Amino acid sequence: MILLDRVTKTYNKDSKPALDRVSLFIEPREFVILVGTSGAGKSTLFKLLTREEKPTSGKIVVGGIDYDTLKDSHIPMLRRKIGVVFQDFKLLPQRTVFENIAFALEIAGMTRHEIKSTVPKVIELVGLTGKEKQFPHQLAGGERQRVAIARAVVRQPKILIADEPTGNLDPRHSWDIIRLLEKINKYGTTVLLTTHNAEIVNKLKRRVITLEHGKVTGDQAVGSYRQ
Amino acid sequence: MSAKKKLSSKELTSKKHNRRRLLTLWRVVRYGTDSFVRNSWLSVAATAVMTITLLIIFTAFITQNILTDTINDLQNKVNMSIYLKTDTSDKVGNELKTELSKLSSVKSVTYCNADCGRTQYAKDNASSPEDLAALTEATNQIPATLKVSLVNINDTSQLEKFVAENKLVKDHLDADHKPSFAGERRNTIKTIGRAVNFAQAIGLVAGIVFVIISSLIIFNTIRMAIFNRKEEIQMMKLIGADQSFIRGPFLIEAIIYGFIAAFIATGLGIWALYASSKTLVSYQISVQPTINLVTIYAPIVLTAMVGIGAIIGIVSSLLATRRYLKL
Repeated sequence: MILLDRVTKTYNKDSKPALDRVSLFIEPREFVILVGTSGAGKSTLFKLLTREEKPTSGKIVVGGIDYDTLKDSHIPMLRRKIGVVFQDFKLLPQRTVFENIAFALEIAGMTRHEIKSTVPKVIELVGLTGKEKQFPHQLAGGERQRVAIARAVVRQPKILIADEPTGNLDPRHSWDIIRLLEKINKYGTTVLLTTHNAEIVNKLKRRVITLEHGKVTGDQAVGSYRQ
Repeated sequence: MSAKKKLSSKELTSKKHNRRRLLTLWRVVRYGTDSFVRNSWLSVAATAVMTITLLIIFTAFITQNILTDTINDLQNKVNMSIYLKTDTSDKVGNELKTELSKLSSVKSVTYCNADCGRTQYAKDNASSPEDLAALTEATNQIPATLKVSLVNINDTSQLEKFVAENKLVKDHLDADHKPSFAGERRNTIKTIGRAVNFAQAIGLVAGIVFVIISSLIIFNTIRMAIFNRKEEIQMMKLIGADQSFIRGPFLIEAIIYGFIAAFIATGLGIWALYASSKTLVSYQISVQPTINLVTIYAPIVLTAMVGIGAIIGIVSSLLATRRYLKL
């Protein structure tokens, strides 16, 4: 599903590479946790996967799409196949819960009828039934993250990238979000999660990839959080 | 049969594609109008700045028009007079009038014989008995006059050459009265000519400067509004919105600013023109032609203002969003 072959990313010629010859292979339907200190290269890796950045060298293939041959005009299409969730939610503040989720379908040109039948199902999946007409500022942090997840999965992407989705949440809401990600993974979506939360990593008992100074220093099938 | 079926399938795909494009366009318009309504304070501020911009452009246009009319009025008042001997026959006078009219630098010529000159003098000095009494003196003779209006009051060379070289003029020129574009009067006319040129140049430059400054102000306002929402743009990009879908609503918003502002600015501008017309007329400023112009062509003026507002808004939005839209 995701293949990185000796990928290096250097932002400035004089500085050390943010990612240094990273090679990874992630199977379809896997739930992978990416850990590492700040500056280890996790965000750079995500930016490469969403094609916000281009690698300095190396090969990236996601869902059969080779990024070397990907035209700029096809980048929006690629991003519609990858769901992304951020630590700071990144919702449209002037739009309701329903509208925020529907937005992901509207940009793909889906009809009103399709949107009206799909969005409520996703809202139910993330447990926000009854809050469709509320605006993001009227919701709690955990609820906002659920909206962000609903928006990310409403198009049924093959891959979901969750960059520190629990970073701004208290422990109880953090676990709600993690359980939701597990549920989405169970339906067949490959989940790539980054977190600094040792308890989550240790309790999930999933594959853990450790990044340090831009290099992969650990890759355990059932891993734990290493300081 | 199969060819027909294939064509139908193509048509169906094309129809579906067109419907999808229409749907996307409709959504872009809806997002733009929604955003205008929901970001009410920002919309009010941007519309107000746009109104001021358009009002400045309207004022620059009106001022330039009034200035041109006033200058034309002034130019028409500055006649070049050629004084002929008192006994010059009307035949000669009219013949000279015809020849002068043929000169390219001459706009119009009127001929006034000695009797006409006396009548005019009496009319001009009706309130002054002393001056009227002067007419009864046998030695005070009024010369026949050719009044010449020039296309450009600064360009008298052709007229001067005509007066200096034409035999008929030379034979009948009044020796006691030099033509008004010669001698002391020449300097006065040239001073008026320079003032006219200066006023026109200043008016044009000031107009252009005001338009540039106000366009920069509205550009900056729209840029600030979009800067506030750069995170939204970033997010839209990451979930797969293409450039036109992200840019479209901002363009629609800017067009709405321009549309509303054009109505307000045109209304305010025309009202201010009417309100100040009496005062301006009292200062000998030629305002009536401009009032007639904006009244008769009010729909065109309004359409032009809407167009200018929309163009300024669209260009500002395109430039402001460009930097956030890099993939």
